[in-house]
Amino acid sequence: MTSLALSGGTRKSRFWPRVRIAAGLLACVIFLFPVFWMVLSSFKAQRDIFTVPPTLFFTPTLQHYFEYMQRADISRRMINTIIVAAGSGIISIVAGGMAGYALARIRLRGAGTIGVLILLSRGVPPIALAVPMFLVARSLGVTDQHITLILAYCTFLIPYVMWLMRGFFLALPKELEESAMIDGCSRMGAFFKIIVPISMPGILSTLIFSMILAWEELLFALVLTNRYASTIPVAIAGIAGDTVNGANWGALTAVGTLTVLPVVVFALLVQKWLIQGLADGATKG
Amino acid sequence: MATNTMTAGEVRRARSPVRSKLMDAASRWAFMAPAAIILAAMLAYPIIYTVEISFARFDLMTFSAVEFVGWENYAHVFDDYRFWSSMRVTLIYLAFALPIQIVLGFGIAYLINALWRGRGAVRALFIIPMVVAPVVAGGIWRMILDPLWGIMNWVAGLFGVDGLDWFGDPTLAMASIIIIDTWRWTPFVILIATAALLALPRDIFEAAEIDGANWWSMLWSITLPLLVPIIAATFVVRWLGAVKMFDIALAATYGGPGGATNVINLFIYEEAFRSLRFAESAAMAVIVLVLTMVLTGIFLIGTRRLEDRY
Amino acid sequence: MKQLFGAVSSLSRRALMVSASAAVIATMTGMVAQAEGLGTPDKPVEVRMIANEAFANQWQTLMVPEFNKHYPNVKVTIDGVPYVELLAKSMLDATGPSPTYDIIIADDPWVPQLASVGALLDLRSEEVKGWTSEDFDWDDFNVAPLAASEWDGVQYGVPVRSNMLMMFVNKSLYEKAGVPVPTPKLTWDEFLEQAPKLVQDTNGDGKVDAWAIDTYFVREPLTPTIWQTIMNSNGGSLLDENGKPAFNNEIGVAALETHKKLLEFAPTGAISHGFSESLQAFRQGMVATHINWGSVFKGSAIDAATTTLTPEQVGIQVLPMGSKSAGAHRGIWSGAVSAKSENPEAAWAVLQWLSSKEGEKWHSANLGVFPARKSTLAAEPSEPWLVPVFDALQQAYDAAGEGKMWRIRHPRSDAAQQVLADEHSRFIAGQVSAEEALNVAAEKIEKILK
Repeated sequence: MTSLALSGGTRKSRFWPRVRIAAGLLACVIFLFPVFWMVLSSFKAQRDIFTVPPTLFFTPTLQHYFEYMQRADISRRMINTIIVAAGSGIISIVAGGMAGYALARIRLRGAGTIGVLILLSRGVPPIALAVPMFLVARSLGVTDQHITLILAYCTFLIPYVMWLMRGFFLALPKELEESAMIDGCSRMGAFFKIIVPISMPGILSTLIFSMILAWEELLFALVLTNRYASTIPVAIAGIAGDTVNGANWGALTAVGTLTVLPVVVFALLVQKWLIQGLADGATKG
Repeated sequence: MATNTMTAGEVRRARSPVRSKLMDAASRWAFMAPAAIILAAMLAYPIIYTVEISFARFDLMTFSAVEFVGWENYAHVFDDYRFWSSMRVTLIYLAFALPIQIVLGFGIAYLINALWRGRGAVRALFIIPMVVAPVVAGGIWRMILDPLWGIMNWVAGLFGVDGLDWFGDPTLAMASIIIIDTWRWTPFVILIATAALLALPRDIFEAAEIDGANWWSMLWSITLPLLVPIIAATFVVRWLGAVKMFDIALAATYGGPGGATNVINLFIYEEAFRSLRFAESAAMAVIVLVLTMVLTGIFLIGTRRLEDRY
Repeated sequence: MKQLFGAVSSLSRRALMVSASAAVIATMTGMVAQAEGLGTPDKPVEVRMIANEAFANQWQTLMVPEFNKHYPNVKVTIDGVPYVELLAKSMLDATGPSPTYDIIIADDPWVPQLASVGALLDLRSEEVKGWTSEDFDWDDFNVAPLAASEWDGVQYGVPVRSNMLMMFVNKSLYEKAGVPVPTPKLTWDEFLEQAPKLVQDTNGDGKVDAWAIDTYFVREPLTPTIWQTIMNSNGGSLLDENGKPAFNNEIGVAALETHKKLLEFAPTGAISHGFSESLQAFRQGMVATHINWGSVFKGSAIDAATTTLTPEQVGIQVLPMGSKSAGAHRGIWSGAVSAKSENPEAAWAVLQWLSSKEGEKWHSANLGVFPARKSTLAAEPSEPWLVPVFDALQQAYDAAGEGKMWRIRHPRSDAAQQVLADEHSRFIAGQVSAEEALNVAAEKIEKILK
């Protein structure tokens, strides 16, 4: 769908690809406008954020970034959020990826049922799960700790990862691992040495998605942590729900911007691997 | 006397068929095991607890069920007009938001998948809306859509459309929720769709082009069938996520006006955390779970049929 | 099934009771063993507090060091929780076998709920009296703020951050419209009469850019307090002496319709305005009056980074008068001690100091917090801009105390408030009439309060 039209042929055949790119860029600009507005507002004094009509010209201030860094304990919360997102993302990718593979390729009696049950566990509203999870965590004495939050996040990440990876694995030709297993490779070995490298784009995309979900999760973080494992979304909720002085929109957009940055950096880095993985996969394909 | 000539492997296998069968089963199950164990360990008690308190009177002093009351909590829930209104609102939201997000997501993924230098950067940039905290997203969009302060109305005014009360009018409030949710979640679809598009095998397309197929027929007879598994998976994941949406509704419209955007999860949250009515909210959670299971089951059967067809 | 269920429940209940009594015995032994409840230099006492995220950090960094000047051996750690989750988290913690927090900061309607699950300590019991200094002077507190932490005849807390609904006035907009600036004697009838004139075009470009009022209209638990204030000032009340809903009468209906009528003179889109949006409208100089919590005064009149208005432009007073009295609504944060705390003396020391005459003076002067004591309000405030605030506050306390202008006092108060929020919002959105909204609310609340 891509190669011939873009090999640079006639002028006409260069037109449509350009339109396609332009349309994609337009969509990008539209989608990013609210983000631009958020970043812009984070540099405005509060009184400049709500002017009528909205202004692009104002005296910028860095006050919000500094003021709330300490007030909302942003640095520690940022570290906590990174730990929890990375931890739960990695565990979920491994466990969920393997489970998705089982559903896609391995004939197992009952695995299908388990897979469906796992998926359906996502039907439980998280509010219903938060309180009992807290009660269990408290009786085990593990409230306000990273590992509790990581495991709690795995409960909603694994089903998603499993189902998405199943979709990716189903698209692969069956011969891939069969040839390796005939040569004496174990099933697990074939999985890690052959299937995983080829599915890298899917795996990385799913990993990004999982980490983002964990990154912004609020409910479990509120209920299961107090101060030591508290995360950024809790800080944001606190600033937004300020019923004493009124929501400080400057601070909110500043923290919001700070929250977005690490993930964007991570995604940009991972993009390189995505393309690399694609190149390998295409030649093997 | 005839001698049996067997290879070493066959000898090994013949010697302990039971053992090798077990090892084979173990290696198969090893794939499923980690996920199943983690989830069973973490979710078993919470789910049992929720079901238990939905059938009981809840005592705040001990945060547990104290007296079995049968279907009473469920009766309360079904009697409450707010529950039915909330279900209706959720259905409307799902019916519009899901298709828009899937179509838009795959469409934009195709657009940005064009081979050019900025492709990776654009793909990374598209992730950003997903990462903006729901509260902040709701707040920013409130600013954009506000009749007084908002850019949107100023732009609409340029086209002669005046005075859109995005949060005061029930229909527009629902539209604003759908807009914000689409803005946040289409990037997810784009992310997955991009990976899927990248993984499409090139040789089939090249063969089809040589055979003279044009863009449109390639789309319908090659691309879409190959993408069906991943479209179905994305739809299911998105559907399960959309059912649980409540933070956007809370941040943008507070569930108003008059309950017009009070999706079911927001209602459950209010009953649990604001009104401290844990038994009723557990009953609602169970009802939502059952409904979700049924509908997801229908989806899965449907996608299984589609997958088999292609 | 029912028997099995009952058996399991009673088993777990008994287990819980056994462990609870064991915990109590252990605690009491521990208490006796601890000779110095306020800590010693080599064995300081640790006290943990759960509070609103909005002021937790301010207290941790500014209030606690000041407290430590008087009690150097009490280590105070404050955890901030966003407001919407604070009640649930406090309840979850307090009902556990060994709660984490010794001090709970509770919003106005929460004390009955916390007290009814046995989470709070009686602060006027014999034991606590032994820890209270003689000049603490309970009677120096204004009636309204102190009553916020009283339930069933027992005093469970002290007011630590007082807040009342107030009316803010943009004097320049009034002058521009040629309408006399409001005084505390303003009535709702007069206000509604003046309102049309306050909807004006201030810069002559043909488009209205200033309105008469903005306040809570959106679907949210605090919005009905506006309606309730109007009703209270006309002599109506939420509950009667028997604790049954009494608001679905003509006074209640009229008050509801007045609240909706305000929308006619409010900015475009005000129907979805809550705390933040209406506040911003006022701070941008777009509305002549604004009803909101008094704590936003500093950011609306004094702090140039957050407001376009100047101190001379902004007035503050009680809400307009109804047929009975001026309007007010109480929103007090009280500090309470956990009944299962292991360090109740130290915990009470913190709260006692904070709400004592000297502590309140310090608190008010340094952190701008509103006081609850008559002596503090009568004295000269540390900042000149606080003078009209203190005046308005005293009027509000008096009005609120007389007319019982606060939310429902009951262990299920929040559930009832949510019902009020839902029905109120339906009426404002035009989905039902005022009578029907209030009748449905009354029916549901009666069931809840039973």
